[in-house]
Amino acid sequence: MICCKECLDLLYDYSEGTLPKETAASLEEHFSDCPPCISFLKTYKATTVISRKSIKADEIPEAVQERLRDFVQNLKKP
Amino acid sequence: MLNDGIYRMPSEDKEHEEQLVREFQAGNLEVFEEIASIFQRQIYSLAFNLTRNQMDAEDVAQDVLLTLYRKIHTFQGKSAFSSWVYRITLNASYMKLRSKKKDKFVPIEETFPAFNNSGYHQEKIKDWSESADSLTFSNETRENIGNAVEQLPEKEKVVFILRDVDGLSTEKVGEILDLSIPAVKSRLHRARLFLRKKLSNYFEEYYSKETQKK
Repeated sequence: MICCKECLDLLYDYSEGTLPKETAASLEEHFSDCPPCISFLKTYKATTVISRKSIKADEIPEAVQERLRDFVQNLKKP
Repeated sequence: MLNDGIYRMPSEDKEHEEQLVREFQAGNLEVFEEIASIFQRQIYSLAFNLTRNQMDAEDVAQDVLLTLYRKIHTFQGKSAFSSWVYRITLNASYMKLRSKKKDKFVPIEETFPAFNNSGYHQEKIKDWSESADSLTFSNETRENIGNAVEQLPEKEKVVFILRDVDGLSTEKVGEILDLSIPAVKSRLHRARLFLRKKLSNYFEEYYSKETQKK
């Protein structure tokens, strides 16, 4: 059976769903008997979701948008 | 994408963008406003995520728009125009970050998990994944996560922002940064491990304070 250290190397492809079936199965076999690795996997996946939610700047603040618009309009002036 | 009130499929968007670029290169300066309006969110968002500062992001956005206005004739169409814009934004953001040099980076490997000689986890791994989600609404948590992202080394940070925050494909990130797919994956994995550790430290401290309060 694979060890935790080997799991770590496979974690990226496993979480992206790009691991070959057989390798994914041996990883899952390890998970079934290793609570620390399950916690690690869950927190590894959550890291992406939580970070994206926390830092994503979806909208430009209105005042900034206005200044950028003015800036672009001024570029055309000779 | 809704730029001029017309809905277009992504492939049509790309075609429309490239048409605008060709028109601008041919001397029609009027289309620049539309080019700027299409790309300014992408530019500002990446600049903000890299600098974590609104004023810096605005400065970077202006620099990038100016560069696009002046240098668009040098765009040769070897990659997608959006990739070219991403690269200019990255360079401008790096210039801004270098001008405010910070020395608070820790070696990324120090945040990777430790294993014993048999290859098993050495430290206790707590699962904060389910309870932490609700905490992302708090300003303190968002600030802490923002700080953790800011501490990522540049190489890992940019891959994390483009792929995990902006949601670009691995292939697109490779094109923008001129990296192979395995290199993108490796940097992203390292970034996630670094952030996982930082988030673990933060949430464990948060929950232990909460327990003490009770």
